Amino acid sequence: MCRAGFALTALAAVLAGGSVTGNEAPSLDPAILTIEGDAEWGEYLAGECLTCHRADGLAEGIPRITGWEPDDFVTAMHAYKQNWRSHPIMQMVAGRLSDEEIAALAAYFKDLE
Amino acid sequence: MTWNRRTFLGTGAAVVAAPHVLAEGQGKSRVVVIGGGAGGATAARYIAKDSEGGIDVTLVEPTRTYFSCFFSNLYLGGFKTIDDIGHTYGALAAAHGINVVHDWAVEVDRAGKIVTLAGGGVLEYDKLILSPGIDFVDGAVGGWDISAQNRMPHAYKAGSQTELLKAQIAAMPEGGTYAMVAPPNPYRCPPGPYERISMVAHVLKASNPTAKIIVADPKPKFSKMALFEEGWANHYPGMIDWIGEEFGGGNVSVDPDAMTLTIDGDETAVDVCNVIPAMKAGRIAEVAGVTDGNWAPVNAADMSSKADPDVHVLGDASQQGDMPKSAFSANSQAKACANAVRGALTGSKVFPPRYSNTCWSLIAAGDGVKVGATYEATEEKIARVDGFISQPGESTELRQATYEESEGWYAGIIADMFG
Repeated sequence: MCRAGFALTALAAVLAGGSVTGNEAPSLDPAILTIEGDAEWGEYLAGECLTCHRADGLAEGIPRITGWEPDDFVTAMHAYKQNWRSHPIMQMVAGRLSDEEIAALAAYFKDLE
Repeated sequence: MTWNRRTFLGTGAAVVAAPHVLAEGQGKSRVVVIGGGAGGATAARYIAKDSEGGIDVTLVEPTRTYFSCFFSNLYLGGFKTIDDIGHTYGALAAAHGINVVHDWAVEVDRAGKIVTLAGGGVLEYDKLILSPGIDFVDGAVGGWDISAQNRMPHAYKAGSQTELLKAQIAAMPEGGTYAMVAPPNPYRCPPGPYERISMVAHVLKASNPTAKIIVADPKPKFSKMALFEEGWANHYPGMIDWIGEEFGGGNVSVDPDAMTLTIDGDETAVDVCNVIPAMKAGRIAEVAGVTDGNWAPVNAADMSSKADPDVHVLGDASQQGDMPKSAFSANSQAKACANAVRGALTGSKVFPPRYSNTCWSLIAAGDGVKVGATYEATEEKIARVDGFISQPGESTELRQATYEESEGWYAGIIADMFG
């Protein structure tokens, strides 16, 4: 895996949304951001997210995840997956998502307003 | 096995279920869902929403207002009103075209694929989804039966029972005693009894600080035990007496007329006695003949009954493996089931199930904790993969954030259930 860093703009978006752990700064293969997500698959996978996050975009106690730019969404999920961004539930959920699954979720939530 | 995209794409022809599509003119496939809680309401909504009118969905639920058992302890603690935890089915009918029938299902003819309602109505189905929640095991607590539930409420089906318990707590005499008879495993909401104890202590600490709380428990340990014990010592020192299996907590009987509780031969006069008996699947699962013992065994891949591939059982009533009996679990199972049912009836793509759970509990104002895990379907059961739990000694800021997160989850799952 290429050890390129997170894109700076995406990283800024990640940092704006939550705290980070003291773990080693994560790496993200730029190719991951080019994966074309399957929105139909993403719609099914989104069921796991929508027990907590609101499909209508309302956010109270739990952040909004609809309408995100896919690069930001993918970057944030990989930051959880690599246990760099701290939150036990999100680390657990992201930890078992493949790169393609994360791309699929990003493709689905992008158009959900 | 572990599912991944390659697995299901590689065997795509096999995993897209053979469609049971009725010929044009014969009408649409019919799904009947019995029980409008976290499992049933979610399954009905997802099948109706995702099939876009392609499947007739009927939801049978006796109550017009659903009071969630989850967060009902926060009502007891004064953090929520009864209206906060009450929800109706209007949007499921109006927005998703679900035929919501407020009646009791009393009979299931699996050979004829017919459900009979208490009011005399008959519903034919192609797929039946049972999500009836729990009932209580007869004779589980000596001296208690359902006729005693007004003297000694269980409050483990939310609504009038919860309001009654709250009123009884408010009416306790100064320095009085609240007792709980806790249930044996497995039961609905593993941390629920202990969150309830926390909420009762929270109320009594303010209104009746010399009151005592006794818990008779047949178990040697319980969910989030270290977290609750730490919280009880910090917030309610000396107030809560937990009597576990080792000290006879499982050897109990009650006298509802005399208002006494006997633990291992010692009789105690109590002012409130919250009896939470051993549980079993909601009765309609037994009537349908899909139970084995107290629960309904299901296949992990799609929550279909091991007794009948056209019947699915969700949530508390099911015996699926490692998932706790919780609203979150039922909601998670409902989506896997809905996807499989829709695929079987319309030929839509069937994806591998994804199961997860998190249970939040409130110990005191702003002191929230949580436990959660992910699960996968194996041939044998739904098996735990990975998990986490809050730790003793966490900062007040983190505990406050955890509580606020639980409120967000509540709003989220309610929206996911009822639209």
